[in-house]
Amino acid sequence: MKRRNFLALAAAGSQALFAAEGDIPLHPTDLKFPALDFEPPNPADYRHELPGGAVGYLVEDHQLPLVSVSLIVRTGAYLVAPEHTGLASMTGSQMRSGGTKSMSARDFDEESAFLATRISCGIGATSGRAAMSCLKQNLDVSLNMFFDMLRHPGFDPERLEISRARRLQGMQRRNDEISSIAGREYSRLMRGDHFSARSSTQATIESITPDLMRELQQKYFHPASFYFAVSGDFDTKEMIDRLGEYLTAQGWPAEKPEVPAVPAPTHKPTPGVYFVNKSGVNQSSVQIGQLGIARKNPDHIAVGIMNDILGGGGFVSRIMSRVRSDEGLAYSAGSSFSPGLYYPGTFTASFQSKNPTCAEASTIVLEEIAKMRETRPTDEELATSRNYAVEVFPRYFAVAGQVAGTFAADEYSGREKGYWEKYRDRVSAVSADDVQSVAQKYLKPEELAILAVGAEAEMLAGNPDKPQYGFRKLAEDGKINVIPLPDPMTMVYPEL
Amino acid sequence: MQFFLLLLALLLAAGPVAAQKVEAQVHTLDNGMKFLFVPRKGDPNVSAGWVARVGSVNERPGITGVAHLFEHMMFKGTHTIGTKDIDEDLRTIEQLDRVRAEIRAEEEALIEKHRRGLIDDPKDPKNRNDQHTARIEELNALLARQRELIVKDEFDRIYTSAGASGMNAGTTNDFTIYFINVPANKLELWYWLESDRLLNPVFREFYSERDVVHEERRLRVDSTPTGKIDEQYDAMFWQSSPYSWSVIGWPSDLEGLTREEALSFFDVYYAPNNLTAALVGDFETEEAIRLAEKYFGRLKPGKTKPEVVRTREIEQLAEKRLIAYAETRPKVRIRYHTVADAHADEPALLMLASLLNGRTGRLYKSLVLEQKVAADAGAAVNGMKFDGFFELIGVAREPNKPEDVEKALYAEVAVLADQLVGERELQKVKNQQMAGDFRRLQSKSSLMMQLLSHEALGEWENINRFSDRLQAVTPEDIRRVARKYFSEENRNVALYHPREKADAPAAGEQQ
Repeated sequence: MKRRNFLALAAAGSQALFAAEGDIPLHPTDLKFPALDFEPPNPADYRHELPGGAVGYLVEDHQLPLVSVSLIVRTGAYLVAPEHTGLASMTGSQMRSGGTKSMSARDFDEESAFLATRISCGIGATSGRAAMSCLKQNLDVSLNMFFDMLRHPGFDPERLEISRARRLQGMQRRNDEISSIAGREYSRLMRGDHFSARSSTQATIESITPDLMRELQQKYFHPASFYFAVSGDFDTKEMIDRLGEYLTAQGWPAEKPEVPAVPAPTHKPTPGVYFVNKSGVNQSSVQIGQLGIARKNPDHIAVGIMNDILGGGGFVSRIMSRVRSDEGLAYSAGSSFSPGLYYPGTFTASFQSKNPTCAEASTIVLEEIAKMRETRPTDEELATSRNYAVEVFPRYFAVAGQVAGTFAADEYSGREKGYWEKYRDRVSAVSADDVQSVAQKYLKPEELAILAVGAEAEMLAGNPDKPQYGFRKLAEDGKINVIPLPDPMTMVYPEL
Repeated sequence: MQFFLLLLALLLAAGPVAAQKVEAQVHTLDNGMKFLFVPRKGDPNVSAGWVARVGSVNERPGITGVAHLFEHMMFKGTHTIGTKDIDEDLRTIEQLDRVRAEIRAEEEALIEKHRRGLIDDPKDPKNRNDQHTARIEELNALLARQRELIVKDEFDRIYTSAGASGMNAGTTNDFTIYFINVPANKLELWYWLESDRLLNPVFREFYSERDVVHEERRLRVDSTPTGKIDEQYDAMFWQSSPYSWSVIGWPSDLEGLTREEALSFFDVYYAPNNLTAALVGDFETEEAIRLAEKYFGRLKPGKTKPEVVRTREIEQLAEKRLIAYAETRPKVRIRYHTVADAHADEPALLMLASLLNGRTGRLYKSLVLEQKVAADAGAAVNGMKFDGFFELIGVAREPNKPEDVEKALYAEVAVLADQLVGERELQKVKNQQMAGDFRRLQSKSSLMMQLLSHEALGEWENINRFSDRLQAVTPEDIRRVARKYFSEENRNVALYHPREKADAPAAGEQQ
């Protein structure tokens, strides 16, 4: 958009910049493109209030004979007591696996498989999700099964036992992979004992009963907690009628649920260098981070651009450019600064590098974080990041399912009205000064925690060709905090 | 062509009997490069990609991994993109090659010393002589010089700034694919950048990119609990076929590959007659053809025809077993030699795998729900261009052992070889296949990738033919292929026993 060659061409108005070969310009920035008019869809055009307090976004698309109904439910693992950690996710998966009151688990599976109808259900940290996708001519029977699952799940005890055994067996393998250890320990460093960093144990998984699952489902799977996203080959009016029939039928919980707000964490991470020793690997995983911001913070657009330039923008970002293409130290390196929906998220830079070069790559990442605060981004960096955000925008609404899904999720999480309408203008208004100012405000080098999971001795020894780098130099007083591997079944951490 | 698919019949709840057809307009340039166009209105975007018929199967010992490393190099720029001064840039690259070759000779001398047991670690700087150290210093100076000449990641920056998204590439055993989504009004940018990198590529930053690929290997293979064992299982399974080495390449080759080797690979396999492009999305075919002629018409046909892959897998005469210990769940993999993707038996093998898979598949019902011998079980078909295999995988439910699951899997296969599968059961997997065909068409980029991968393994029209062939599979076909391929002599078995602590380095680890 604002590239140097483009401006030069406009000023000179000359053909001299074009090659002799046909009319192919010498440089791609000399290409001229027609304008692309795109206005995002308006949520109000698709929003419908449904019986029982439910809301739905319905987007027709008649290209293929498929219908998709998905649902966000106001519930989540945060509503479950710590001694039953794992109950929410088990309830979600057993709603799908355990049959219904009128249909055995096996019949439910066989029928949906024969129809090629996909039905799923799950409960995550701060929401529940259920979905059905079918061929158009199987819509009636597929909707029957979908709503039967939501209203009358069977919670077959035999299916629960099979799933429980599988989970306990998987639990034993918790300390096998450096990436899963790193994810877990980073979460604990950032969030302490907040629900979002909690792990299930043998005891909490064994505490799960069909009654506990039914209690959770009965409490929260109520039409007033439903946000539908419906897309595909259907007629909107007919679909509203059909959904209405299900939502007003018998069998939903009598009480409209009172759902408590998602609790914010109170933990403040302790800065420093942390190691988890995992011998036998030739590459280790490093995460460097601190607490970030929430989505309601109006700076989150500028923070997004800032992080894009720092490490979120793939190959054109500074961390990737230095760690990967300059030095060849990692296959993938970057950062994320996702705003939290309900409370501040985290800023995290991460990579995996061979053991001796982890300290060097960490040093580069810290240098780039510091540089982001010290100087403004170049015009080119800013233009690339802003242009991308503006130009890629239509892709967010490329297919009907995305339109319906985005709007349903926005309403569920309380995104401000008119957000997408104003989005491109807000992105375009971010200046180089804004970028530096949010970097100074939200990147806090003194608060960073560095977590390295891998072969401790080799990471500490470093690269003999580059003795200037070392983890002890990154730690205050050269202190490395060692986190032991916990017992995978009890999550008790041994004393060192 | 207004609409890309024709619904030949309505589907019925009792069992879909329809077929969908993808219609692509084909245009071949004089230089042999083929284009497939599927215009599709909707969002203002085009999914665009091209495939080169080259993969690790075209490598040989010594240059394993070069097809994939080459894919990485295609993002490093051209005579126009990525440089401030192309002449100086090319001179520096030449000097770098020379110094690199001298360093390589020193490294090989150290490897030889290590082979004789004279030194412990050929990579330890204290084993280097003065000459070696001086060359490394010279190299670092040249790299610093090169960095001044480079416009970093300009190729990416131009696409990113234009709002193009999802840019990536992938290398398989058989082909290499490059793809992206571009805003509909900027389709010409795709033509410019893609034809330019085929016309004038410059492999700058070759050696740091080689290190990146080595990190990719550590990430995907070396540092995962079973990565290196899986790789050795492949190497055991394929005896003579070039499928025996992994796409990422052996570590020793990754450390030794040169820029010249990558270049000679380019000359043969990236000639236009070895390439096909596909565009799916919001564009006018006439304009797309005009741009194809204008931009890709500049490519010269290759001087050498790509070599035919000569070495075929020899017939396996006896069962092979691999017994491994790793930090993983107890698991068994049973793999049988079968056929290439285009072979007439492939549809029956695919339907057979579908009968075994999923919540209502025979393996889950029998091994997980009824016998409770397994925690997970499944089957997979891997038909490649020149050969293929069928694999059964089972995770033991403890205290059962991998051997217990192995026996249970054989029993299921024996039933298929003995008894005809019921009509309803077969109809179920055909229904799923049919619905899956529609679902796969929902995404433009997925359709573009399917067209290109079919084209790379045979011809794009197979995207339509294959569905018909799957729907035509009979219970007799299933029994016939079960009897033909699932023999004891034809199988390979890998048993993974859990190892609790990784205190000792795993077998085969590169130090």
